Formats: sequence, structure tokens, C-alpha cells
Amino acid sequence: MFWRHNRQDDSPPIEFFEDAHARVKHERYSLTEPTPPQRKRRRRLSRKQTDSLLGLLLVAPLVLWLTAAILYPLFSAIRLSFLDTGIIGTGGKFIGLENYQFILSSPDFWKALGRSLVWVVGNAVVQTLAAFAAALILMQSFPGQGVARIWIILSWIIPTVVVVIIWRWLLGTSGGIVNYLLVSLGILDSPVGFFSTARSAFASVVFINSWRWFPLMTVILLAAMQGIPQELYEAAAVDGATSSKKFTNITLPALQPVLFVLGLVGTLWSINVFDIIWLTTGGGPSSATMTLPVFIYDMAFKGYRLSRAAAASVVMGMLLLVFVYLFNRFMSPPPETD
Amino acid sequence: MRRFWRSLVLFISVFGLLFVVIAPFYWIFSSSVKRNQEIIARIPTFFPKSFTIQHYQNLLASSDFPKYLMNSTIVALLTMIFTVVITVMAAYAIYRLKFPGHKFLQRVILVTYAFPTILLLIPIYMMLSATTPKLIDTPWALVIVNVTFAAPFAVWMLQAFFKSIPLELEEAAALDGAGRIQTMIKVFLPLAAPGIASIAIYAFIFSWTEYMYASVLIISDKYRTLPVGLAGIIGQYQVDWGLLLAGATITTLPVLILFSIVGRSFVQGLTAGAVK
Repeated sequence: MFWRHNRQDDSPPIEFFEDAHARVKHERYSLTEPTPPQRKRRRRLSRKQTDSLLGLLLVAPLVLWLTAAILYPLFSAIRLSFLDTGIIGTGGKFIGLENYQFILSSPDFWKALGRSLVWVVGNAVVQTLAAFAAALILMQSFPGQGVARIWIILSWIIPTVVVVIIWRWLLGTSGGIVNYLLVSLGILDSPVGFFSTARSAFASVVFINSWRWFPLMTVILLAAMQGIPQELYEAAAVDGATSSKKFTNITLPALQPVLFVLGLVGTLWSINVFDIIWLTTGGGPSSATMTLPVFIYDMAFKGYRLSRAAAASVVMGMLLLVFVYLFNRFMSPPPETD
Repeated sequence: MRRFWRSLVLFISVFGLLFVVIAPFYWIFSSSVKRNQEIIARIPTFFPKSFTIQHYQNLLASSDFPKYLMNSTIVALLTMIFTVVITVMAAYAIYRLKFPGHKFLQRVILVTYAFPTILLLIPIYMMLSATTPKLIDTPWALVIVNVTFAAPFAVWMLQAFFKSIPLELEEAAALDGAGRIQTMIKVFLPLAAPGIASIAIYAFIFSWTEYMYASVLIISDKYRTLPVGLAGIIGQYQVDWGLLLAGATITTLPVLILFSIVGRSFVQGLTAGAVK
């Protein structure tokens, strides 16, 4: 899939023979007179070798950058989790596994983990349904379809803080349009505070986050659906298949590889969501929306327990590794045969 | 008759979809020009009855918003430049030059773009506080972080664009005696321009939006960026909705403008890698 290779780029056979030829020539020369042919050899072999060299050179800045900004901090997080640092510049004494003991025996951590699981599942369900619905609508032909297929992504690209402002405004109790509509349609007797009870706050944040993310899934599904050969549907239509039969027997199986990637990457992206929750509810009311990232942030920068929060991040990282392994092991689609 | 019902259902569902995505934007734009009494009126008005640019004036003349706007722009532009230079070079190497280990690197890039950023928040905060000169509380801290998290996805997006450029063009240039670097700059990069524009704008938008790291790495008000600045207004006891809605509108505008330029290739790059 991603790492499938373009066969064309592999070096053409002619070059190989030229290389071998040059090497033979070089060896013959080198017995007597090493210096001048050496230079010649470098020029003869150049294409492949300079390509490799240039490749390493061009890729080096990115590799160095990511090593310095991802790999190094990753290890220093592990180191930090064995120290007793509270705020920056304090502590730094080695205390072994104490932070891990604290985290693993803290009910707040386990509750946050539980909320993160509900968060991931809730978002996956809402977003999958919304994205499939949206993709199926956009597959139909209607005037302006091309523009709609691009601008559907809008809510994913605007700043999260704007997403939060929009929905805090729409769902608000004074001047909020949603409350007004629900009351005037007779669904509610009086305006409700969507963010004031545990359940409704959690559901609201899941909804807001899904509103932001489902367009990304939609455009990816849409692209995948467009890649399904039309003949399959035509053949099925000849056999008298209904729309829902076509969907379950043709569309879904063809989407399997894409759904696998979305399941894996989407879960990692979704569990990482912090700003939507933090800016909408701050983790409240009474910790009802405190998922793992909010828990870690709160502990580190509101509670000033950097080392403990680092230990919590390490535990979270481990759990995600296990998830990635299991997901790969049990959910990966059968290998393509082509 | 059946055709009529079909088009009616289609019309309603298309309208519903557009409504869900676009109506909230209309709502904040239109409310940002209403007078205060109308904004918090018990009965909301779909079309503004009053019209005022008061909130925009307050925002631009008597708040810190212009400063945040400036800071966000600087950080986003620097993020964009660094991301483009680093990732275009790297992507060219990974997808066009067969250096040893390019396949391994391709996989590493895949892993890093899904990497949960929260896991690095604390160590990066510590790391940037410990450097000399201190990088924390400077725009550079944000540039470093934003490039780090935008780059892997950008490399991945470039894959689709780079692979669509036929190898023959470069081979022809090579036959004419052009060197690798010359070929890359004169033949390859111009053809890859839509892809490069897409990732440039991706990097800009990523940086424009980033909140979590900006809230921790910037301490003094002087360097605060838009998301954190706006969040400060939300956090106040008495939320000034007029000001906030005007702020949200101005913050969204650059994203809309940039996206309208590269929208099509942006979405193409976004989806091509996942589908292939």
C-alpha cells in the first residue's frame, strides 16, 4: 500500500553492466597504476553512487530534525519519569519506580483511561456513520458536486479554537441557537446547559470533535469509493442487486484496506485530541471529560508534577504500542495479490 | 415520478450536509456584525437586524489581538518555509533517489505522522527550557515544534505528487547532460509545484491552528499566538461574545483564502496516499 514500490525507479540493467565493466577495467589497471583510474572509476560509477550520496544528503536535515525533536525527547521523557521533578528546575533526584507506582495506583488515571476508551469508541462510531453518509451523498451527481467534494473539508482545516468558539456559542444557554430551536420545536421545555452535566458535556464534546474530524474521513472514503471499478456495480445491477446489497457486497469489501488505515491512524489521532476538550470544558464538569491527554496536561502544567505526568505519558505510550501491535495482528486486511 | 422522488431525496441530503458543515460559519460571521443586545437576545435572529463594526474596531484598536495576529503570522510563515525546504528535499530523496535505507525511512515517516503529540509535550518543554540561549518563550520554540509535527505528514502528502511525475522527463534531462541537482531544480520542482504549494499551506494552517504547545511554550504575552489569545477571551468570567465572534471570523479568514487557492490539490494530496 503505502510502501509499495514503483518498479520503474529500480536501476536499469544497462547501468549495472557498465558498472561491472568499469570495475573489471579498474581492477586490471589498479595492479600497476592506482591513481588516475581511481578518478576515472568515480566518474564512471557516478550515476548510482552520487544518487545515493545526494539522497542521504537531502534527507539528512529531516532525519536530524526528527531525531532531535522526537527521538531525543522520547528518551528524556523516560528518564524524567524516574526523577522527582515537580516544576522546572526543582528536584531531579532519582526515585526509581515511585512515579509509576503513584500513577498506576491512582484511580484518577484509570478513570481518565476509561474515558479515553469511551472517547475513542464514541468518536469512531459517530464519525464513521457521518463520513459514510456524507461520502455516499457526495458520490451522487448533482450540480456543484466538484466544489462540494473539496469544501466539505472546511471544518477540519479551521483552527480548533474557532471550532470551540462556534459550538460554545451555538450550544450556549443565552443566545444559543440550538437551545432556541429545541425549545421552539417543543423538544425541550427550557434551555439546557449542554456542558453542565457529566453525560451531556461528554456527548457534546464527542459531537464537536466529530464535527471537526468527519470531513477528513469523508474525503478519504470518497477517494477510495471512486477507485472501485464501475463495472462491478453494473454487473451487480444486471443480476438485480439492490443498493444495500451492492454496498455490503462490493463497496465495503473494496474499502477494507482504507478502513484499516483509518482505524489505526484515526484511533491514534483521536486519543491524542486535547484542545477541543480543554477549551470547551476544561476537563469538567467534575472531571467528566478528563481524558488521558487532559489528565497529563493538567498534572504537568496545573498541578506542577512534571515527572509524574511524564510517567503517565510513558504508560500511555506503552498502551498505544500494544494497541498498534494488536490492531496490526488481528485487523489487517488479507495481503493484496497482484 | 420515481425520478422526482430520487432527486428530491438527493436535494434534501445534499442540503442537509452543506447545512451541517457551513451553517455554523454563517452563524458566527453574521452574529459578529450584530449589536450586543441582538447577540444575546432570547430570540436569535437569522438575518442581522442591527449592523455594526464596533466589535471589529474594539478588537483591532483596543485589544491585544493585532499583536497575536502578527505573532501567529510570523510563526506560521517560518514554519512554512522550514517545512517546505526540509520535506521537499527529503521527499525527493526518498521517492526518487535510491539511497540505502530509503524504504526504512519511508516507514519511519508513516509511524511519526500518527505519533500522539501529547507524549512529547513535557520532554519538549523541558528540553527547550534547558537550551542556551533559551528557546522557550520565543517564537522559535513554536517553529521547531510545528515543523516537527507537520513534516512527516507533508512528506507523505508529497508522495502522491512526486510519483505522478514521469521518470522519463528526468532521464531525458540527464541524457542532455544535466546533473541531478540541476534536473531536480529546473525540471522536477516546477512540475511538482501544486504539491509543494499544498504542503506549504498545510504547514501554514497547522501552525496557525496549533494550541497545546503554544499554550505551554509561550509564557509572556509578547509572543502569544492567536489560538491562545482567543482562548484567553473565552476563559474570562464575562465572555464578550461580540469580540470573540469577530476574533473567530478574522482568525478563520486567512485559512479560507489560502484553501481557496490550493483546495483541489490539497484534498488530492490528502487522499491519494491513503487510497493507493
